[in-house]
Amino acid sequence: MADLSDDIVTMEDIHKSFPGVQALEGVDFRLRRGEIHALVGENGAGKSTLIKILTGVERPDRGSIIFDGKEVNIKSPQHAQDLGISPVYQEINLCPNLTVAENILIGREPMKFGGIDWKTMNSRASYILDGLDVDIDVTQTLGSYSVAIQQMTAIARALDISSVKVLILDEPTSSLDVHETQELFRVMHKLKNEGIAIIFITHFLDQIYEITDRITVLRNGRLVGTYPTDSLPRLELIAKMIGRSLAEYDDMKRTKIESSQNIKKGDSLLDAKGLGLSGSVEPLDLVLHPGEVVGLAGLLGSGRTEIARLLFGIDKPDSGEVNVGGQQVTDHSPIGSIARGVALCPEDRKAEGIVGELTIRENIILAMQASRGFFKYLTLQQQYEIADRYIKILQIATPSADQPIKNLSGGNQQKVILARWLATNPQILILDEPTRGIDVGTKAEIQKLVLSLAEEGKSCVFISSELEEVLRTSHRIVVLKDHKKVTEFPGEVDGHKIMQAMAGSEQ
Amino acid sequence: MKHKIGAFVSTNRRFIPLFATALLFFIAYGVGAGFFQGMRDPQIFLNLFRTAPFLIIAAVGGTFVILTGGIDLSVGGVIALTTVASAALLRAGWDPWIVMLLMLTMGVALGATMGWFITYLKVQPFIATLAALWVTRGLCFFISDDSISIDHPTYKLLSQTKILIPGLSDPATKEGDFISLLVVLAFVVLAMAMYVAHYTPFGRAVYAIGGNEQSARLMGLPVDRTKVLVYTLSGFCSALAGITLSIYVGSGHGLYAMGFELTVIAAIVMGGTMLTGGAGYIFGTLFGVLILGVTQTLIQFNGQLSSWWTNIVVGALTLVFIGVQSFLAAPKSRRPSDQMAGLMLRRNRKSLLMGAGTVLAMIVLGAFLFRMIIPSTESTACTLKPFRQDQAASLIQGGAVIAYERHGGPACIDELYAIYPDGRIKGDDGDRTVEKQATPAEVETLLSGIQNLGWFTEDIYSTWHTPCGQCYTYYISVSHDGQQKTVQAVDGGTDAPSDYWQVVSLINGLIPRLP
Amino acid sequence: MKQESKTSFSWRKVTESRLFFPFSALALILLFDLIFVPGFFNVQVRDGNLYGNLIDILRSGSTVILLAIGMTLVIATGGVDLSVGAVMAISASVAALMINPYVLATQLSPETQRLISDPNFTNQPLWVVVPVTLIVASLCGLWNGILVSYARIQPMVATLILMIAGRGIAQLITNGVRIQIFYEPYSFIANGWVIVPFPLYIVAFMFTLTWLLTRRTAIGLFIESVGVNARSSFFSGIDEKRIKLLAYTFCGFCAGMAGLVASSNIKTSDANNIGLTLELDAILAVVIGGTLMAGGRFSLLASIIGALVMQATTISMYAIGVPANAVMAIKGLVVILVILLYSEQVRNVLRRLTAQRKEA
Repeated sequence: MADLSDDIVTMEDIHKSFPGVQALEGVDFRLRRGEIHALVGENGAGKSTLIKILTGVERPDRGSIIFDGKEVNIKSPQHAQDLGISPVYQEINLCPNLTVAENILIGREPMKFGGIDWKTMNSRASYILDGLDVDIDVTQTLGSYSVAIQQMTAIARALDISSVKVLILDEPTSSLDVHETQELFRVMHKLKNEGIAIIFITHFLDQIYEITDRITVLRNGRLVGTYPTDSLPRLELIAKMIGRSLAEYDDMKRTKIESSQNIKKGDSLLDAKGLGLSGSVEPLDLVLHPGEVVGLAGLLGSGRTEIARLLFGIDKPDSGEVNVGGQQVTDHSPIGSIARGVALCPEDRKAEGIVGELTIRENIILAMQASRGFFKYLTLQQQYEIADRYIKILQIATPSADQPIKNLSGGNQQKVILARWLATNPQILILDEPTRGIDVGTKAEIQKLVLSLAEEGKSCVFISSELEEVLRTSHRIVVLKDHKKVTEFPGEVDGHKIMQAMAGSEQ
Repeated sequence: MKHKIGAFVSTNRRFIPLFATALLFFIAYGVGAGFFQGMRDPQIFLNLFRTAPFLIIAAVGGTFVILTGGIDLSVGGVIALTTVASAALLRAGWDPWIVMLLMLTMGVALGATMGWFITYLKVQPFIATLAALWVTRGLCFFISDDSISIDHPTYKLLSQTKILIPGLSDPATKEGDFISLLVVLAFVVLAMAMYVAHYTPFGRAVYAIGGNEQSARLMGLPVDRTKVLVYTLSGFCSALAGITLSIYVGSGHGLYAMGFELTVIAAIVMGGTMLTGGAGYIFGTLFGVLILGVTQTLIQFNGQLSSWWTNIVVGALTLVFIGVQSFLAAPKSRRPSDQMAGLMLRRNRKSLLMGAGTVLAMIVLGAFLFRMIIPSTESTACTLKPFRQDQAASLIQGGAVIAYERHGGPACIDELYAIYPDGRIKGDDGDRTVEKQATPAEVETLLSGIQNLGWFTEDIYSTWHTPCGQCYTYYISVSHDGQQKTVQAVDGGTDAPSDYWQVVSLINGLIPRLP
Repeated sequence: MKQESKTSFSWRKVTESRLFFPFSALALILLFDLIFVPGFFNVQVRDGNLYGNLIDILRSGSTVILLAIGMTLVIATGGVDLSVGAVMAISASVAALMINPYVLATQLSPETQRLISDPNFTNQPLWVVVPVTLIVASLCGLWNGILVSYARIQPMVATLILMIAGRGIAQLITNGVRIQIFYEPYSFIANGWVIVPFPLYIVAFMFTLTWLLTRRTAIGLFIESVGVNARSSFFSGIDEKRIKLLAYTFCGFCAGMAGLVASSNIKTSDANNIGLTLELDAILAVVIGGTLMAGGRFSLLASIIGALVMQATTISMYAIGVPANAVMAIKGLVVILVILLYSEQVRNVLRRLTAQRKEA
């Protein structure tokens, strides 16, 4: 239990926007002393922006922050550290080539006679790690240790600042195994007992329920609410994270889709048996029929994107096999997939989708041209034809096809990437979060497009964290949890049942 | 016992590249000493260091830059500019210590400017330092087209000061094995650099930036300031190297240290420092320099391979080192978290294996090279002595129009001839002398022939490379019509201007042969 | 936003075009010449051939232009090739050796002496020499490409190796001897004149070939795509490895071409000096032309103009009497100026200054 019942951090009415996107809108956040507080939300909910504001990396457009009783204006990461706010990021921001001791103490090295006192530094680092019950040789380079140890080192560094009051752990358990996670929790309990408040960002629901006192849920840049962990059932938590109240999900059935009669159950466009990749996807079976839209439902981190990557050939599986169009797949690669008529519209459009400096036209025809090879070059006229056609079909807002794609809004960029894959005339189209960051009208268009593709006898795999979208668009829903396929729901099903499967428990 | 060894290796596994380099050096030297009698002379070992000080000093500065993941291509230009500017100022009568101070200040200013461009204007280090190379080298030629010799007694003193090695030399006769003052300077610089790298926050910040610049920033380290400082340091070291070079060769010329920046990089890489930054030891750079020296020495002793083999060997060695480095390093990943997780664990097991593989590969490469050397007959050691510059100069002062020195060759000679306008020709090789009387007209013809070949224009310039066993090296001073110019060259390569050899053959046609 | 027709002329299009900056730089230098160097632009006609300073710029710049064409592709993939100078030396050695292999013998009989100095003599016909040389040069480029793509070595480092070792290899081929080439048709490559110097035709041919290869096939698009975002390109089915391999091989091919021209110019194979520091000129030509060293969009024409900027600077400096080696300093300053003008920071400062002035 918390020692004192007052807050150490009070953030009120925080607003923050970036070009083209409102990251946070009127968010309140309160952190009590000595509590472990979970901060959850799906992609784009605003968690990282909120943390960046608290740690001084970003400044809020509006709103106030009260820290330890005083109103503050956090100007820089250094300032935040001086206040006693210590972040440990998901990506271990340490230097793998330096020793463990150095990583903990660099910038604050103990000195002797004008030079670094290595002996004291090493013993001091050992001492700090001892406090976390970690017993390693601090004179070895950080890079030679496992991620778990590296994370502990990061935490040790964060704690070494005198007067740490708030520790922020951003997805600390992503690369830890069960045992290591338990060790981390033990450390967190210890720190909590010392009066340090911990913000724990994670997508592992089990962990939230194991260790946290309260949960704050964000969604689409807004605060959904803050709840004591004990009083919020798992199912309700999920409902809040992905959009509707539980009651609404109770009522939401999949809208009947007329085209379901076109599905040729006998044929299969894709047949995966035992397909898996260690560390990424547990072996699963998946069948896609012509004329069918299959939705993949699951929380962040459940393995949806990983499956998409396996199906498209970005990752090579180490178990199982896939048959496309009756032929077994032997060359797992994007170009092979395109040749077979499989297309993937990726989740991270900035890093995996758009080629920023290239024009809309070039981005649209890119995959199509790749499948034609070097020499069957589409003439400029052909390219413009194709580009203009898709600009019209998808209603991409741009003065011309010669705009560099990076100038477009996120939603329009997404449309261009979609156009790219449609242009390859695929039999199987995998869409990973196609509607993220897109306005409502366009979302509806995309969903309609997916259904119309199905009507043409193709098959779509539709991945989204918005459950109502998946429900509205899919003929069949596959539920994933913790990198494993949990179950399938063919035909009509209650939203409630899907949620239960996602949560992995009966509640 | 085995457990202890295993533990020892495991705790020190990050020193493996350093050990590997050192090992290769000792193996190379050992094999060479085994086959070539002359190499067993300790003076040969010390000679390795004689031409090394400027390389060591410049490479030490360069190591810091490369540790941050950058690169400094301006080294050769700064060195050349330092030599030329020093020589010009000394000739104008400036005090030598002030000149040296000024040169160091120039190096610092240049380095700081480059660092500023790279850090704050975000210019790529490659381009920024390349531009600096051009500007500095070009500036040399605004000062002077020819080499300017340095006559200042202080410089001469510094160049000739020998420090005798206790136990290997006889203080009474001042004979025996020695190292020059400049080498001591180089070692002092090396030691200071090692201290800075390992015992100062600045040094640790350098390593941190090389490891992960973004992390270093997030950890609160003064990244920008450190980056500017490393280039400043490199500029300082280049200037200091230039000063040592000008002391050693006694002159300044814009063509000195051509391509030197590549030699520096090769030495640094072979010393175990990775070009991607963050890994490597200053001490390793010393070994990189030594390996380059040993390669040259081996080729020289072999006598059958020309000096351009050095280039190939250096290139091949660099390839091996870089290849292994790249193989060991994780490719810059887009998903650092899972990359780190998987790769780090694998690395623990692999690094020892790779370290062993590295050493093995290098032993194989070394052995291959030496097998090429084995069939050759032992050649007598022909230690390179410096030119008898003072003697030549005084001959010219004494009225000679041509001072012509030739040494090396299969018989390892050292002959110095003086030709006087009245036709007298005197020659000696330290033991014997010879004289001949030619006609003044013949001397006049010779002189105008030399002049017509462009001796006093920029078409004829000094060059130097380590000579092959059979090759001669030449040092020719000509004084005619109020102009005086000294040009040195080495036989057997193609770097010297072709007309130089015409001059040599003209002179050879006139001088008498020693008995 | 107003719809801009693809063909209409607008001042804005001109200033925003990729060619604007390098072209202006060139125009500035020529303006400088117009004012300060009388008679710079004189063109004489002799025996139906054109001569003059402008022609000289084009002719002496032809090797750098050839290198710049290949270098543009490599830099567009986000890499760099430092070894082109050394590859030039290797090509020159190979070509010279094929024409005159006798020179390697230690003793030459007087008949052989006379034979090899005959301008009509060559051991291999030109139509064998040229392709073999180009193949060897391409293999050098392929070597670089393999190191970069498959061994995943940083381009600067990978090509540094051939840069160091390459000259040694060139010497090895000719056993250290500078081979004189007396064969007349070979000399024509660089010294011949058909209205304009022959190298200009070679340049025109290479430019056309490269343009066809990059703009009339998908190769140019793929190179740009890989240079901008290799990962997205991978997702779209583009094989980054093969594209890079192609770029480096082609760069080697261009270097081979340049080596032929350079050695033909001096009628020898000078392994030490041919192409010395030219790799830097080539890189700078590409940078001046506006292709980012990080990779992405490229323009062959802009690189050529960049090369001409460098060359025009050099020749203008000669024309006003700057000593040959000192011109390097001027080139360095030009580079610094260009880098500054292309730099984001400086542009922001300029924009802020001009915006303030507008408000005032």
